[in-house]
Amino acid sequence: MNNTFDFRETWLHKINPSLKLLTMIFLFILVIFIHNLNQMILFTIMTMILFVFFTGHPYKRILLFSIPFLFIFISTTTSMIFFGKGDTTILRWGLVHVTEESLFRGIHLGFRALTYALLGLTFALTTRPVYLFYSMMQQLKLNPKYSYSFMAGIRLMPIMIEEFQHIRSAQKVRGVRTGAGMNGLFHLFKFTSIPLLSQCIRRAFRIAVAMEAKRFDYSKERTFYYKIGFSKVDVVFVGYFVVLTGLSFYLAQEFPFFPVTDVRD
Amino acid sequence: MKKGLKLTDILVTIVISIAFGIVYKIWGPLYYAVKPFGLHIDQLIYGMWFIAATVAFLIIRKAGVAFLAEVAASSGEFLMGSEFGLEVLLYGVVQGLFAELVIMAFRYKRYDLLVVSLAGIGAAIGSIFMDYYKGYMGDLSTWNFMLLIGFRLIGSVIFTGFMAFGIAKALEATGVTNLLRPASKEDYDALNQ
Repeated sequence: MNNTFDFRETWLHKINPSLKLLTMIFLFILVIFIHNLNQMILFTIMTMILFVFFTGHPYKRILLFSIPFLFIFISTTTSMIFFGKGDTTILRWGLVHVTEESLFRGIHLGFRALTYALLGLTFALTTRPVYLFYSMMQQLKLNPKYSYSFMAGIRLMPIMIEEFQHIRSAQKVRGVRTGAGMNGLFHLFKFTSIPLLSQCIRRAFRIAVAMEAKRFDYSKERTFYYKIGFSKVDVVFVGYFVVLTGLSFYLAQEFPFFPVTDVRD
Repeated sequence: MKKGLKLTDILVTIVISIAFGIVYKIWGPLYYAVKPFGLHIDQLIYGMWFIAATVAFLIIRKAGVAFLAEVAASSGEFLMGSEFGLEVLLYGVVQGLFAELVIMAFRYKRYDLLVVSLAGIGAAIGSIFMDYYKGYMGDLSTWNFMLLIGFRLIGSVIFTGFMAFGIAKALEATGVTNLLRPASKEDYDALNQ
């Protein structure tokens, strides 16, 4: 959802959205097969370069978006570091058992989570949902009734948030009081979510009837308002990952900074 | 009757799911705020991430809805820029698939608490399957691994089973679900009299 703030358009925005998505999914699978800590760190750095320099958002905002990454990194590493299997003990304290193996494995997982977060946020910041769904209809032959439903659903998001605020104000005006503790929280949840959801369903139903009447579900001989194709930047994008994945593999073999080649054992 | 989902079914499923997508997004920070306490307390709230599948199924009651809902909710979360990034989308696909398979095993004929709880467990197994490869979960010490699985299954029954069933029942009471049900035989009989 990048249409709420202003940003500079970069080459990452011009990539074919379907290709970008498929590349990202391929990279996700590729990263699962990286077991070498050195390569993992190099791979993270190369995705970070794209995120920091090429998303076209101001650095202050990039920094703001990076705050959760720290939490992700810490929360992913800790449980593996403290409770992982291993033989070379570094620290033992009650249930906590830190070993050299689990320490490296934990750090590896932290970097892996960081890579996923970086790739995902880079995608979200540089892709307009409308172009993504138009591209999926044209390149991936996704049925229009799914694409248009997704686009309508995304458009409804701000309305849902507004609706939520209306419900909260209405509750305040009418003096709705919920008790304290878990029970009160449960009631608050129920009194807010049920009207919100039921209103969502009513609205979605009305929109769907209108869309069906206008043949949005018609898939044969459909023409598209946005025509999305391929260009040179698509080659650059795929090339970037091919070259740098190779480079990270080579550097990890030749100049390792940690003596760990496989974190699994 | 026409085969497959109509645009109405799809749009309603997606809108419900995107509403849950917002919840999923908020759930992320909550999850990693709880996580550093250790001992997998966080796993008890993991089940919230499967809830879209069962709520949507209980409302629409058609084949494929659970899968579509989970994919839509996770892509909503993804497009809002989730902290977990790309993971959510692929986890969503796998979780939705496993939940759908459980519901399919009952031939889409049962809409009770048992089925949705089992669907929750199915989705949890899907997520554990993903975590096993991505998070080296097998390399946790055994007691810790068992604790994680236990907590996640309990959490998914609470959220995806009980809570989803509660929400669906409350929505039935508002009458809004009648919009979406096809006319039944009783309705036609009522007209013929």
